[in-house]
Amino acid sequence: MTFPLPSHSRASNAAVVMITSSAIWGLLAAGLQTLSTIQLLLPIFSYLAPLPVLNYGHLTPVVSFLLVYGWITSGLLGVLMILVPRFSGIPFRYGRLLTGGAILWQFGVLCGLTGILGEGGTGTPFLPFLRPVTCIFLVSFLVLGTGITRGLGGSWKSGPLLPRLYLLGALISFPLGLGTADLLLRGGTPGAVQIIVQLVWASILQHLWLTPLALVLVFQLIPAMTGRATSSLSLGVLAWVTTLGLGGWLSNTLETEGPLPSWLQSAGVVATLLLFVAVLGNGILIHPLLEGKMEEIKRNVALRFMSIGAWSYLATYGWLAFLALPGVRQTTVFTMTTNATQTLLIFLFLGSVLSGSVYALLPVSRNMGWPSHPALTWHFWFTSIGAGMMVSGYALAGIFQGLALNDPGVPMGTIASYLRPFLVLVLIGQFLWWAGQMAFTSLLFSSLLKLFTSTAPMAIFPSENPASTTR
Amino acid sequence: MKSSQALAIVLLSLLLTWAGQVVLGYFQVGKLEPVLNEETNLREPPTPSGLAQTGARVFASEGCLECHSLSVRGPSGSADLTRGWGERRSVSRDYLFRESALVGFSRIGPDLSNIGSRIKEPKDLMMHLYNPRNLNPASTCPPHPWLFEMKLAGSRNEADSLPLPRKDWKQMIPTYQAKALVAYLQSLNLNYSLPEAPLK
Repeated sequence: MTFPLPSHSRASNAAVVMITSSAIWGLLAAGLQTLSTIQLLLPIFSYLAPLPVLNYGHLTPVVSFLLVYGWITSGLLGVLMILVPRFSGIPFRYGRLLTGGAILWQFGVLCGLTGILGEGGTGTPFLPFLRPVTCIFLVSFLVLGTGITRGLGGSWKSGPLLPRLYLLGALISFPLGLGTADLLLRGGTPGAVQIIVQLVWASILQHLWLTPLALVLVFQLIPAMTGRATSSLSLGVLAWVTTLGLGGWLSNTLETEGPLPSWLQSAGVVATLLLFVAVLGNGILIHPLLEGKMEEIKRNVALRFMSIGAWSYLATYGWLAFLALPGVRQTTVFTMTTNATQTLLIFLFLGSVLSGSVYALLPVSRNMGWPSHPALTWHFWFTSIGAGMMVSGYALAGIFQGLALNDPGVPMGTIASYLRPFLVLVLIGQFLWWAGQMAFTSLLFSSLLKLFTSTAPMAIFPSENPASTTR
Repeated sequence: MKSSQALAIVLLSLLLTWAGQVVLGYFQVGKLEPVLNEETNLREPPTPSGLAQTGARVFASEGCLECHSLSVRGPSGSADLTRGWGERRSVSRDYLFRESALVGFSRIGPDLSNIGSRIKEPKDLMMHLYNPRNLNPASTCPPHPWLFEMKLAGSRNEADSLPLPRKDWKQMIPTYQAKALVAYLQSLNLNYSLPEAPLK
């Protein structure tokens, strides 16, 4: 017997497009990343297969692009399409339009991927693609963002405020940031100013778009899963204002001396240290939500991922604050500590929050449950341990690299050999992460196709009875 | 907090982020002018040729920035000058005429801000691009053979062919991209003095 489709489910297909594509892009990115690390570890590999598409210089921007736009952004937008109509109580109207927007986003990722692999990147951090791809992303975001934002204003006072605040900040920052950066970087801006624009865009993308999106899920789902409310709204609002005010300045710490005006570098250091205080404020809000919930964390894979994500959020900004310290910054600029930061942010913080949210929300949307399969456990352990190994490998490599670069007596060839043991650690971590993501992707597709006997979905939204609908 | 207040805070912080950095930055470094060298009567930094500007795009698309930076630091807090990567630090004015200002992400290889004065022979740069181990057997830099094409040679090799042993009457000729990239690398030269960064 088929019941009418509830209006929440109108976004269901769009969400599935985004989440399944995200899983595939994540898998592809991790595979290519492993290939690029092998080249770094064994340079002879690039002599054996001298093809432009397999070249380290081509693969690295592709990996970064796929991780940010393909895996994380697609996935987070997908889970938000499930979450927002439910927490606002205001359903989507145009399901097909949203699905079109979701497909357009994936088309943008595909165009960006083929463009960078074929023609190479632009050299601009987080903007390695050409203007047509920017246009595709902006048009797609216009559809998806409008769909997600629709319920926000009308339901402002009907639920927890913090997720709404972070969502509002993120949804406005992304299109304004991407559009402005594209216009300025490809529009004849003087060279020295371009460097500033590149750093502002890198900051906006990471700290005003991706981080707030993940915080929406942290502050909405952890209280829902643990049955506890965040303790202090004023502290949360203060942390939100600080994140928005300072998040756009953080990447200035990536330069020391050089062409960036020194006051901007100092402002970047101050912003990073102050933002860490705000992040600690969020930590004070998150800690009581998870305290004493170890048994539940062990039992519930979604909560396990969310708690790893929440603590990685603190670790990411703590690590950034450490790197911003005078003395440390001079040593670690232009080293693999940047890779450590990216891995900590993308794989451990954003990736864990994304995985936890997919485990929690997808069943609600598709009237499905996750099977009691060992792949679920493999996903958690392989990705968490793998990401941990990558972060520690890159961090140690970066610190040794920085110390060696600052010693003029150490030749460049010797520095490369110093890095090898750490790169082996990174490579093992990447293999593990890839295996974990493979387990997740198999589980995702087999669950969507209902190949396994599954358990009932977790009750995230108690008012909704998922058993009453069929697709 | 009302939604309109939240919206105002978001828009204000974005405005401050862009205006605070880009607009103020523009007034500080966006209006810099080249400096006239009274000895040579040349403006510095020099304007790169069109070929070098194309080469900058090849440099970016080949991903050279993943391993090489384009910013010399110093003299305090870094060993860049002692390593011989430049005779002075890089400053904003050096990027004045760069169509696409690139700084780089990592230093797995050396900084290239001053590579034009370190390797003066275009043939050496070509040989490095074709196979870095031709010049340095321990190099970890990947080869870029796709920037070259093999052509039949006559009794003599063409002037721009690579100095490699002939195989079956064939010679290795750099493509337009390789020539542009080499022109760009040669244009990377910090051997001029600026008021804010005089030569040692």
